[in-house]
Amino acid sequence: MKFSRRNLLKTTVAGGGLAVFAAGYSETGKNLAHGYWAGEKPKDGIYGDAPKPEFSVDQKTGELTVNPEQQVSYTQCLGCTTQCGVRVRIDKKTQTVIRVAGSPFSPLSTDPWLPYETSVRDSFVALSHRNEDGLKYRSTACGRGNAVLEKLTSPFRITTPMKRVGPRNSGKWQPISFEQLVNEIVEGGDLFGEGKVEGLRSLRDLKTPIDPDKPWLGPKANQVGVLDPMNNGRRSLAQRFMKKAFGSMNYAGHGSYCGLAYRAGSGAMFGNNKKNPHAKPDFDNAEFIIFIGTAPSNAGNPFKRQGMQIARARSDGKLDYVVIDPVVSHATTKASADRERWVPIKPGTDGALMMGMIRWIIEHERYDDKFLTQPNLKAAEAAGEVSWSNATHLVIRQEGHPRDGRFLRGSDIGLDIPADAVYGKKDPYVVLDRDSGKMLPHSKATGPARLFFDGELEIKGQKVSVKTSMSILHDNAFQMELADYSKICEVPVDIIAGLASKFTSHGKRAAMNSHGGMMSASGFYNAYSVVMLNTLIGNLNWKGGTLFHGGKYPDAGKGPRYNLATFPGMVKPKGAPITRNKPYEKTGEFNANKAKGNAYPSKHPWYPNSPGLVTEWMTAMFNGDPYPMKALFVLGANPVYGIPGLRGQIADKLADPKQLPLLVSVDPFINETGAYADYIVPDTFMYEAWGWTAPWNDVPTKTTTARWPVMEPRTEKTADGQPITMETFFIAVAKKMNLPGFGEGAITDKAGNAYPLNTAEDYYLRGGANVAYMGNPVPDASDDDIALSGVSRISSVLQKTLKPDEWRKVAYVYARGGRYQNYDERFVGEVARNRFKNQMYVYNEYIGTSRSSMTGKRHNGSPYWSEPVFSDGTPVDKIYPKTEWPFKLISFKSPLQNSYSLGARSLRQIHPENQIIIGAVDAQGLNLQSGDKVRISTPGGSREATVSVRHGVHKGVLAIEHGFGHRELGARPHLIGNKMQPNEPELKAGINLNDLGIPDPTLKGASVFVDPVVGSGVRQGLPAKIERV
Amino acid sequence: MKDAGVLTAGVVTVSLASKDAAAETRDTGGDPSKRWAMVVDLRKCIACQACSVACIMENKVPYDNFRTIVSTYEVKDGDKVGIFMLPRLCNHCEEPACIPVCPVGATYQKKDGIVVVDNTRCVGCGYCVQACPYDARFINPKTRTADKCTFCTHRLEAGLLPACVETCVGGARVIGDIKDPNSEASKLLATNEVKVLRPEMNTQPHVYYIGLDSRFQGKVGGEEALWRPGRDHEESLR
Amino acid sequence: MNTNIIELINNSQPVAWLPWAVQYFFLIGISVACFFLTVPAFVFGRTDWEKISRIALIGALSMGVAAPIALLADLHQPGRFMNFYLHFMPGSWMSWGSFFIPIYLIALFAYAWTIYRPALAELGEGDRALAPIYRLVAMGGDRTPGLTRLIGLAAIVAAILVFTYTGAEVAVVRARPLWNTPLLPLQFIATGFVGALGLILLLNRTVGDSDMVVETKTNRMLAIFLAIAMIIGFVWFALGIFGISSVIATALSSVSGSAAWRETVVWAIAATAIPFLIAVIRPQGSGWVTGLIALHVAWIFRWAVFIGGQGVPKTGAGLYSFALPNGPEGLLGIIGTAGLWFFLIIVITSFVPWRKDDSGTPSANA
Ligand SMILES: Nc1nc2c(c(=O)[nH]1)N[C@H]1C(S)=C(S)[C@@H](COP(=O)(O)OP(=O)(O)OC[C@H]3O[C@@H](n4cnc5c(=O)[nH]c(N)nc54)[C@H](O)[C@@H]3O)O[C@H]1N2
Ligand SMILES: Nc1nc2c(c(=O)[nH]1)N[C@H]1C(S)=C(S)[C@@H](COP(=O)(O)OP(=O)(O)OC[C@H]3O[C@@H](n4cnc5c(=O)[nH]c(N)nc54)[C@H](O)[C@@H]3O)O[C@H]1N2
Ligand code: SF4
Ligand code: SF4
Ligand code: SF4
Ligand code: SF4
Ligand code: SF4
Ligand SMILES: [Mo]
Repeated sequence: MKFSRRNLLKTTVAGGGLAVFAAGYSETGKNLAHGYWAGEKPKDGIYGDAPKPEFSVDQKTGELTVNPEQQVSYTQCLGCTTQCGVRVRIDKKTQTVIRVAGSPFSPLSTDPWLPYETSVRDSFVALSHRNEDGLKYRSTACGRGNAVLEKLTSPFRITTPMKRVGPRNSGKWQPISFEQLVNEIVEGGDLFGEGKVEGLRSLRDLKTPIDPDKPWLGPKANQVGVLDPMNNGRRSLAQRFMKKAFGSMNYAGHGSYCGLAYRAGSGAMFGNNKKNPHAKPDFDNAEFIIFIGTAPSNAGNPFKRQGMQIARARSDGKLDYVVIDPVVSHATTKASADRERWVPIKPGTDGALMMGMIRWIIEHERYDDKFLTQPNLKAAEAAGEVSWSNATHLVIRQEGHPRDGRFLRGSDIGLDIPADAVYGKKDPYVVLDRDSGKMLPHSKATGPARLFFDGELEIKGQKVSVKTSMSILHDNAFQMELADYSKICEVPVDIIAGLASKFTSHGKRAAMNSHGGMMSASGFYNAYSVVMLNTLIGNLNWKGGTLFHGGKYPDAGKGPRYNLATFPGMVKPKGAPITRNKPYEKTGEFNANKAKGNAYPSKHPWYPNSPGLVTEWMTAMFNGDPYPMKALFVLGANPVYGIPGLRGQIADKLADPKQLPLLVSVDPFINETGAYADYIVPDTFMYEAWGWTAPWNDVPTKTTTARWPVMEPRTEKTADGQPITMETFFIAVAKKMNLPGFGEGAITDKAGNAYPLNTAEDYYLRGGANVAYMGNPVPDASDDDIALSGVSRISSVLQKTLKPDEWRKVAYVYARGGRYQNYDERFVGEVARNRFKNQMYVYNEYIGTSRSSMTGKRHNGSPYWSEPVFSDGTPVDKIYPKTEWPFKLISFKSPLQNSYSLGARSLRQIHPENQIIIGAVDAQGLNLQSGDKVRISTPGGSREATVSVRHGVHKGVLAIEHGFGHRELGARPHLIGNKMQPNEPELKAGINLNDLGIPDPTLKGASVFVDPVVGSGVRQGLPAKIERV
Repeated sequence: MKDAGVLTAGVVTVSLASKDAAAETRDTGGDPSKRWAMVVDLRKCIACQACSVACIMENKVPYDNFRTIVSTYEVKDGDKVGIFMLPRLCNHCEEPACIPVCPVGATYQKKDGIVVVDNTRCVGCGYCVQACPYDARFINPKTRTADKCTFCTHRLEAGLLPACVETCVGGARVIGDIKDPNSEASKLLATNEVKVLRPEMNTQPHVYYIGLDSRFQGKVGGEEALWRPGRDHEESLR
Repeated sequence: MNTNIIELINNSQPVAWLPWAVQYFFLIGISVACFFLTVPAFVFGRTDWEKISRIALIGALSMGVAAPIALLADLHQPGRFMNFYLHFMPGSWMSWGSFFIPIYLIALFAYAWTIYRPALAELGEGDRALAPIYRLVAMGGDRTPGLTRLIGLAAIVAAILVFTYTGAEVAVVRARPLWNTPLLPLQFIATGFVGALGLILLLNRTVGDSDMVVETKTNRMLAIFLAIAMIIGFVWFALGIFGISSVIATALSSVSGSAAWRETVVWAIAATAIPFLIAVIRPQGSGWVTGLIALHVAWIFRWAVFIGGQGVPKTGAGLYSFALPNGPEGLLGIIGTAGLWFFLIIVITSFVPWRKDDSGTPSANA
């Protein structure tokens, strides 16, 4: 062989070829080198890596053989606010969760559920395939409930207390000891080298007013507050700390940006504007349901139970239903298409549709006359009804009359009412006897009263104009023609009439239901009108109608065993709430303005008909109206992510310690709000924590779900071995400050003996004793119950904390994951066992006499069509006309995700991203196709996103699925100590509608657009436009 | 539609043998007195994907792979729009297309009807993946062998329900022994009109659907999902 | 496409047959086709074919060696290849294939050996460094055209089996209408020949001596096979479009909505028609161009069949998107096989006296 250039070239090519080949074949080479197992060798040849079953059940004998390496415990899911009872299957050695399914004792997860007497052993057998019991008692976790276990071991989990390094929101943290955490928060000091920060010790000042000029605001202690999400079973302890021990009145949950508009509309009907009770359709027995602004089986609460019920009702049962919604969702399935129908509607206009239906029903006399004419419960019951309303009660409607808008009372017509009872509860309402037409106190009526009356009565010699509640509703409904209503809501007249007709064709077996879709600027009245339809057919408490939930076995009350509600030294907070949820007329601001001669408007709106409003909280404190806050604790809530338009209004202020000196997040993760915190207190998560919860509705029997640490918590431990949690934190802070209600002797039993509150167990186990002993005490848990259910993990602390006769009863409850009334106790005959017995408010005097603090105008006390307006009464469409903002933007819940579940990869792999959903016709007009990138803008902001073109969208509507568009919870890696969190850009996927939320342009200072009557955040019907990028 | 008879027949006949030829070589296990099947009542499915996730958890299905998923479609019929939900999984066919193609006899049918893969024999050739008319199989990237739904045979053998059935929120998935006329599954089959997917494949699927719209029986004609760009994220996540 | 149905959620199936499979089918198809182009000279004694056949033989050898290597890489458990032999499955074409491939390769090598033996022996004379090895390999160096013919006949049978199994293996897959047609094996053969002829044209220009007679003749044959490929393609399309074959009609409808597939079709037509025209109009001097395009045709056809075919969901809507990974499962694998082949062809042409004809002196390209 001669060495030539040609040879050199060839050798090079050959060598190069071989090298490239080697690279390309590297994987195969590696695989070959692994020999017979190129991949990871799974445990079993056929079963793969599936863990051994948790137990096995002999199909003939029913004998249960447990797998000693695993533990199955009944506890509670927190994959969403439904808080189902679930069974958690744990690998004992690694203390990791293998899988989660439902608890067969929990009505939130199974229906029918097992009799409470069932032993744990038998409950396991009932889950098996033996006799196909597992199908009958099928007890489930939803997709999210199956997936969220991933978050327990997430690399973004925070397990140690942290203090920020550098400015707020810079994403840098320093892990600190629990002692340092508690010390710094209590004592304050120059904590960040930015100047002195006041600690809780000096902030707990129950004497010095916030503002000496405005003593009505209350003491300085009110400048510390807590935001928490829904009651996840631990709220009572946090409230004990904040309100009862520390003495601040500022504690608010997430209601105002969850579904307050609906709840308030319902609260108006049921006469309670603080708790805002609501009823739910009896899915199992209803023949016709209209869902308007809620999408069962897409979301809704209880998500899973409703999903199961509706699936069954439309297949095996008698249910037909209609979903009125701007977008189509999982609430309708083609597979049973003849049982259901989607009716599109223009966002925020539900009230028009409802009033149209009400008008039609009144016109055609299709309301339930027998029900509505009963003036009190007794008369109603005598007539065979099971609930009653004030439809026949007379209301004074006379301008200038001092009691205009109020009910005519017994004392008004000369009944002998003690002076201190006048216009109080004992002062009856007045009705007109149906036959005689004579006035009589409602309580005295034994039969029906006149339903409609609009005229003058002679009262104490004077003519007074009065109307029945029903007549007021009538007049409200008849303000417009059906055609006008139709034009507003864009639902054809014949469909409005058809809905009204169908709805009134099933007797009591029809129901209306709503929730998140009411979160528009006309939400309160829309919701009130929805609930009114139920009242018009008198379906409450009836099988197939609407039901209240069955109640709970309370843990934290004054209890049969321990008093967890009160304690010596308990504070009753005073002053004005930060979120201005009280009548303006009862404030010093009103008095001052009135003195100046212009009582209205107030500087910012007051909400007399609302509970605490987190929607208003942050803007209120940064505007300093009513006052600034000094320290804020955020417990597992995320207002910066969840409130439409909030971020844009307050992010810079939140980043400024001068405007809010102390911000503490208690959360297992760094969320969008916690990113601004000064300190993060880690918390136990889901199956690691304690708590007692009740379903928020739709369970007709008494239900209390137990959350208990079925596995070793992953948070770090305090010096004395307690896992660091919200409870350990508040207890330590309280004890350091010597606050009442914590530490030695804080809890008393019936006999007055005192017990300590030093640990979470001290509190929750005693709460458990209350649960176990309520009514008929539960039996004692057997050793077998305790061993099989994993309660053995906590049996020593049960024994240590509780009395000898108590602990096995509490163990009985924990072994079954809660306490549950039995399935067959749902109804008595055709009627709900747990009945709502108070009156329903066809006219609500409290609403009807309250005023907008901005306009001074009175609210309407009965449903009417009220178009979306800003707080000064200007219609939204006037400020943001259609010509410039051709679309209405709405939000709907993801059927898979919640607001913090995106971190679970198994969910992400199914549905990784959201889009802006647009109707095919609108898309065509804009020449858009699915997958196109667009810029969406509202008056509150602008973002880029992808579009998805659909048919199931009303024209002129853009819709965004909630749960995406995160900036935290892993979307941005934080530096903790010197360790960087992993970078998972997938967690940033999609878009969050709330980044496009708008401020109220008619208000000064920072503001969030809310319903002007009740202050609920507006996420439905935002003016928007869209363009291709 | 009439086939180009000769041409197609030619191909069919060169498919030499049925699954039995393959199965003969091994003891397949399973109780021959049973025939497991699943009935899915689509009217009860709410597309919550509990089944999909439970399966992933139970069977440790690697990221981005599925033994079961609930395909979800928006459907417009005239002016009526709704969602169609379709849980998909291995059909445990009576005449499985996947078995005869396997060159090493790694996939076979148990005597109770369940089609399984022996991952200790599978060479990962992917031929069965091609042959299954339902996209029910995949190569498990972790074990590098063929993978698919086993009807959770490990749970059935323990007297328990498959993970997806246990947790089916709508109660849509019912598994049972259809040789037992009193089983829930048998009763559902007897009292409802049921369909299977791609019957023209002659695989005799044993996952039956109540309420299956024929437009979804085969390859769905429609606009595809806005899938995310692909599996290349996987790299960065490992 | 039905725009009244919009898929919101579905999974996307990754390809189970990787680009390695494309490589395998490309390599084996060309190897076998090349082998058939050696037959006129070495089995039937057609001396006018000698030069083409000799080029074809190195094509068959180089591609034949590379093919099973690529195939092995397509197995996700390559270390278990022996399972093919431990568990014969007569129902599976792939199982048969696992026997046909080695039979074919052994026959091919034996066949080549009998052809090269005299030349090898000549190289073994003298005192060059490798001479002892050549002597050993030559095993005497007898000219044995009879043996060549005999082994050649056996190799023909094996080659037919390989063609049959590779085609049938894919065509029996009823689940994939794009594959499930007897025209597919025929097209594999036709395009295999197209690729083989393309390869010969290129080898003639590179390792060979750019013989214009060879080029002209090869181009003519190429035109014929391109025409056959076009006809098969046309028949397939016609059977589908006129609804004569429901399978093909289904196959067509599954991809008809896709712009990518439409581009592929246009591409395929162009890639067949252009070299056809060139080969017909200017068979001499166009070898580089027609050769490259022809090879490309053979490859792209397999790519479209395997990767494109796997991109058609069997039940879901539309198509799966396939992103070619950069690593060994994708691009690197493709380049790697090319590298392997370059290496092989250089080694073969360097050490094997491939162009020795009966009259000339033995020569490898060293
Ligand atoms: N999957 C899932 N389930 C959940 C949750 C979750 O995050 N994910 N969260 C839980 C929580 S906290 C809650 S509060 C509930 C909420 O449950 P829902 O109230 O059922 O859910 P939302 O999506 O808030 O709103 C319901 C529907 O209102 C529609 N809508 C929007 N604007 C309008 C309108 O102007 N008019 C009408 N008629 N409809 C409108 C939306 O399109 C949506 O389909 O769900 C609970 N369940
Ligand atoms: N655009 C739009 N906005 C919405 C909605 C919508 O549909 N669309 N939905 C609204 C509704 S209905 C609601 S209810 C709100 C929800 O909003 P929020 O109530 O503010 O709660 P989430 O955003 O769910 O955040 C909950 C936080 O709690 C943490 N967490 C979870 N478990 C625990 C625990 O055990 N302990 C502690 N300490 N923390 C825990 C999580 O990590 C997360 O950071 O959002 C509302 N915002
Ligand atoms: S509905 Fe699902 S996520 Fe929510 S609590 Fe129940 S199981 Fe968990
Ligand atoms: S991938 Fe495994 S089971 Fe499937 S055909 Fe190949 S060897 Fe058989
Ligand atoms: S569905 Fe597919 S994988 Fe399952 S048995 Fe049938 S052909 Fe085989
Ligand atoms: S039966 Fe088991 S393996 Fe099959 S889909 Fe259900 S959970 Fe997955
Ligand atoms: S778990 Fe049941 S209801 Fe939920 S998606 Fe699966 S099949 Fe449907
Ligand atoms: Mo909510």
